[in-house]
Amino acid sequence: MPGRTWAIEPYEIVTNSSVSEKTLSKSSLRAIFGMRLHTWPDGSPIHVFVLPDNAPLHIAFSKEKLNVFPYQLRAAWDRLVFSGTGQAPETVASPEEMLAKVGSTPGAIGYLTRSRMDGSVNVLHVK
Amino acid sequence: MFCTSSNPIRRCLRREVVRLVVVSAVLSNCVAYAQKLPIPQNLPNNLQIHGFASQSWLKSTDNNNVFGKSSSDSGSFDFRELGLNASMRPKPNLQFSAQMISRTAGKGSPGNIRLDYGFIDYTFLSEENSKIGIRLGRMKNPLGFYNDTRDVPFTRPSILLPQSIYFDRTRKLAIAADGAHLYGEYRFDHGVLSFEGGPVRPLVRGAEAEVALLSQGVPGHLVPDISYIGRISYELDEGRLRFAVSGTDLNIDYHPANGDSLRAGSIRFTPLIFSAQYNAERWSFTSEYALRHFEYKNFGKAPLNLDFFGESYYFQGAYRITPEWEAIARYDVLYTDSGDRSGKKWAAATGGDPHRRFAKDITVGLRWNVTPEFMLRAEYHRVNGTAWLSTLDNPNSGDLSPHWNLFSILGSYRF
Repeated sequence: MPGRTWAIEPYEIVTNSSVSEKTLSKSSLRAIFGMRLHTWPDGSPIHVFVLPDNAPLHIAFSKEKLNVFPYQLRAAWDRLVFSGTGQAPETVASPEEMLAKVGSTPGAIGYLTRSRMDGSVNVLHVK
Repeated sequence: MFCTSSNPIRRCLRREVVRLVVVSAVLSNCVAYAQKLPIPQNLPNNLQIHGFASQSWLKSTDNNNVFGKSSSDSGSFDFRELGLNASMRPKPNLQFSAQMISRTAGKGSPGNIRLDYGFIDYTFLSEENSKIGIRLGRMKNPLGFYNDTRDVPFTRPSILLPQSIYFDRTRKLAIAADGAHLYGEYRFDHGVLSFEGGPVRPLVRGAEAEVALLSQGVPGHLVPDISYIGRISYELDEGRLRFAVSGTDLNIDYHPANGDSLRAGSIRFTPLIFSAQYNAERWSFTSEYALRHFEYKNFGKAPLNLDFFGESYYFQGAYRITPEWEAIARYDVLYTDSGDRSGKKWAAATGGDPHRRFAKDITVGLRWNVTPEFMLRAEYHRVNGTAWLSTLDNPNSGDLSPHWNLFSILGSYRF
């Protein structure tokens, strides 16, 4: 529901262990999740994973880390996908799948609550 | 389907609602089934496939037809949009994209399958805060906020886009073009400045464009000439505030047939569109203004040598009641000639009806996201004027009523 604040466990932005970046600017993070920035600074491809639009963690991440509402992200991805000028992120169904995908895909980025994280992913901080 | 009761609209509506609910129930079952299927992941070269399918029903009053015989007792189902696209990103800086579309919308769009876009996109410069690239092939025309994805109901604010700017009458001219686009963006701390555009060849073949531009069946044909298109956008806070200025310099030549009374004339169409949008959690406000310059030269017949400005604008508010339900209201105004807003001068000169030269449309609508993949919409238009009604669907201008209503329902599935 818009307007409702979700009580969310502490969460982090996570990357695959192949990603050497430990910090990122907010504008770069927005460009990555806006599907407009496709490479890490070393030139390797970025793979973006998100939870469904109505997942409480997706809503919290969008609003708190990106300062956007999920409907805006969806609109931006739709504009890219249906004009051919970009691609959509890969949607995973659950935190378990998020951990498995980010942990196993080189260059991957996503988000997870701390209780769901393990050593297969790195934490990325926003400058 | 025939509705012949004393209250045909209500009966028809009831039947159409039942029909749409049945269709949506079947579709959402299909969706549920599809979601149980193993969806292919990690396709080679980051291949992605997406698509959409929509069906609308329209019912209008008087004799004013929108997409088929919508003013008949049973309304019109003649508005269907199907699309399938694929994109591949073999390298982070290289993408191939193509989309096929079939659009049925009255006599102007018979539903033939065509290439909507197909191009190569290469980013040759990518820095931490900026990028520059090029697109080659057939690209969607970057005009206003909605033109690039105008046939995809999920990306539209309503069943019909504001017709003052996104005419369905001349859509072939506006929708896409073959050529080259240069694009780029620069990211500031709180905003993104971007541009795209370049030289293109407009798509002008077909009776629809000829009727729309020359308002009559002509013996010769229209031939595209080199044209330019572009858009500059600024988005603050990843889209909380969006601004854009877009325009084209569209050039089309007329090649007369043997014994043609028209000479080898040319048409130059240079619209300029200003767009602004504010997005809050529940509210979105959008407004666009267009000034459209038309120049018709060297046709040899005085009435066809023209130089005038058309003017269009709309104000639109959308309210997200819940993530599933959205309400929308819009006021949309079109003047074919801003020097003759009432159409009276044109009527005096040509003997036509003045209401063919303007349209003021009040729209209210409701959107229901049944699932993330399936959407239902309903909307009502109260219109004064007939400027954006298609001549192909309304061949006898004298039958048209200046004050009319339109009701429409749409079901749309995407993946």
